[in-house]
Amino acid sequence: MSIASTLVHNTPIFGKMFSVDKSTGLEDINAWPALMIMASFIWLAVAGLLGIVMPVTQIFDLNTDWFYTTLTLHGAALAFPFGFQLMVGVGLHRSGGCVGKPVTGIFPALTFITMNLGAAILTVAVLMGFKVSLVVMFPLPLVGAQMGIWSMTTVIVGFTGIYLVLASMILFYPILVLKMLFFGKKQPELVLSERSLNDPGMLGMVLAALTLLVAGTPLVVVGTTLLLALYGVIPMAMAAWAAKPIVFQYSFYIFAHNMMEAMALMVTSAMYATLPLYLADGTRKLFSNKLANLALWILLLTSVTSFLHHFITFYPNQPSALSYWGNIMSWGTGIGAALSIFTVFATIWQHGLRAEPGIIAVLIAWALYILDGASAVVTSNIAWAYVLHGTMWQSGHTMTVILAMALMWMGVLYHHYPVMTGRKLDPTVGWWFVWLFTVGSFGAALSMLAGGAAGMPRRFAAWNQEGWMIYGNLTLFFGLILGAAFVVYAYSLLKSRDLSVAVGRQPVAA
Amino acid sequence: MQDFLFSGWGAFWVTLFMLMPFAAMLAYIVYRKSVFDTGPGTTPVKTLSKMEGIWLTFVFVFFVGINLGSLKYMPYIAEARAATSGLPLQEIDVTAKSWGYEMSSRQVEAGRPVRFSGRSVDTQHGFAVYHPDGRMLFTMLLMDGLKQPTTVVHTFKEPGTYKVRCLEYCGIAHHVMLDELTVVKSN
Repeated sequence: MSIASTLVHNTPIFGKMFSVDKSTGLEDINAWPALMIMASFIWLAVAGLLGIVMPVTQIFDLNTDWFYTTLTLHGAALAFPFGFQLMVGVGLHRSGGCVGKPVTGIFPALTFITMNLGAAILTVAVLMGFKVSLVVMFPLPLVGAQMGIWSMTTVIVGFTGIYLVLASMILFYPILVLKMLFFGKKQPELVLSERSLNDPGMLGMVLAALTLLVAGTPLVVVGTTLLLALYGVIPMAMAAWAAKPIVFQYSFYIFAHNMMEAMALMVTSAMYATLPLYLADGTRKLFSNKLANLALWILLLTSVTSFLHHFITFYPNQPSALSYWGNIMSWGTGIGAALSIFTVFATIWQHGLRAEPGIIAVLIAWALYILDGASAVVTSNIAWAYVLHGTMWQSGHTMTVILAMALMWMGVLYHHYPVMTGRKLDPTVGWWFVWLFTVGSFGAALSMLAGGAAGMPRRFAAWNQEGWMIYGNLTLFFGLILGAAFVVYAYSLLKSRDLSVAVGRQPVAA
Repeated sequence: MQDFLFSGWGAFWVTLFMLMPFAAMLAYIVYRKSVFDTGPGTTPVKTLSKMEGIWLTFVFVFFVGINLGSLKYMPYIAEARAATSGLPLQEIDVTAKSWGYEMSSRQVEAGRPVRFSGRSVDTQHGFAVYHPDGRMLFTMLLMDGLKQPTTVVHTFKEPGTYKVRCLEYCGIAHHVMLDELTVVKSN
């Protein structure tokens, strides 16, 4: 039994949900993915509870420190060790089964360890007082230490945690994906459903991995320099260039923006890969692979430089020409989305659909992603950026992309779960999950976007200043529905039944 | 109408305009092809390709139209128009420091363009001005260590007391980083 399988097996409650089926000889593509998915659900439980604390502190007028603590922890836990790790776990299992390569060796271990250890260290730092929000807000960490809000030790601990998480996302995971897809010998016994890079489902995964690696490299250089200075390995003067707010902010957003775009590429490619498996006529083909691939390339090419929209309100420090470019490229991503909309509609129209909870979750996640895309391009327009930047609109946008991605991968997991664990999920419970998630996620997203439209500031512990509490209450209401959806999903995992006595019908191939 | 369109709520309705027809179409196609008629579609590929062309043309025209329509509301354009209007600019220098603002003046005249030039002397801050009815009029991102200030040119249309807020999270008292501007009738 591999270390990963043993860890899953020995973890209480969550381990029962993801214990690996060792009878099929597929442990090499199941063990590390199962461990990553299990860990992501543990972080989801933490993030979910913290998410509820945020509006509760405001409704009951509790200590604002709690709001900023939970804000930082909730955002970080939801985005990285939950959302990103879930994507990594399911995606690695899927690609392993598509190319017949094992998910074993040092890179899956490093990806897992750095992500979870880093997130745990960051959690400790936040509990020590390091309240810097999900996006660090550099130079706030250093200014906070100078002002005595938190200690320099806390900054070092926090940066160490962030650095490890980034190493997982920018280095180890992309290298692992590229290694699996381009190097090593194929093991025929691991092939579940062979796919090549011409397949849109695989192309998106490669583009996403390359995006993370390339767009993340500047931040790795800046982060390494700062961390070496914080640990005293190099003099602080040598790191002065990296500590300049403008250097850190641009390198941060080149990565953070493109990380979201990489996840969007993965969302689209996962939908392209999963939809054909559920077509009613059994054709297993998209309406047009060329159109689907074109959509991915347009998304990639337009999104890479659209990060400039994060600095539209920074004029003239960001020249207007760059802001116009960011504006145009952001709307260009909409052309890619329009192509994917047509491909999906035409595919279902031509071939029919076997509606099961997994594929409907995938399609609803994709619809949520379209809502997120619409909110993103709107706020990337220069005129709207000036009346929306810094409001709950942006928080709604960020939360929506994470929820879309989470639902997408949870839907895809419905498909892969039997291969991974040898057990099946109850479709009746699955439908409950899908509808609860749909109501909760769209409701929460629209409530937050409405709050932004009304000028409600994000990362702000006084929603009662202008009567914005209504949007907070609505977000809490839909957030609780969303929480119920996650509980139902966890219940279905806990109550999954052995394949021999399974209910419902699901295709087993990857 | 156009003024509303390029406000915060205008953004919300445009987003819904993009979402709702898509969501309705998705629901219709999934219902129709998974419950009502699961058989292979009989629509010729040529017809679908024609629909694809119409769809992409609509999206392109809509995207270009919206962005061209927004030009008038872009502060960069407003700055250029103010420069050519012949009206003297009112200048307000803003310095942001956790958790408050220093401003060269807190009073401006309605109908005359105002240039806000903002700097931060510690961490990132925002400078967002809110209309008395609660709408946000504009915001600026202020960052420490830059040679030139962040600027916005805005012409206030109505007298009143306008709130100023920081919209960039700047630490544990971020929510109390507030100030006010008084807009008076023009002489």
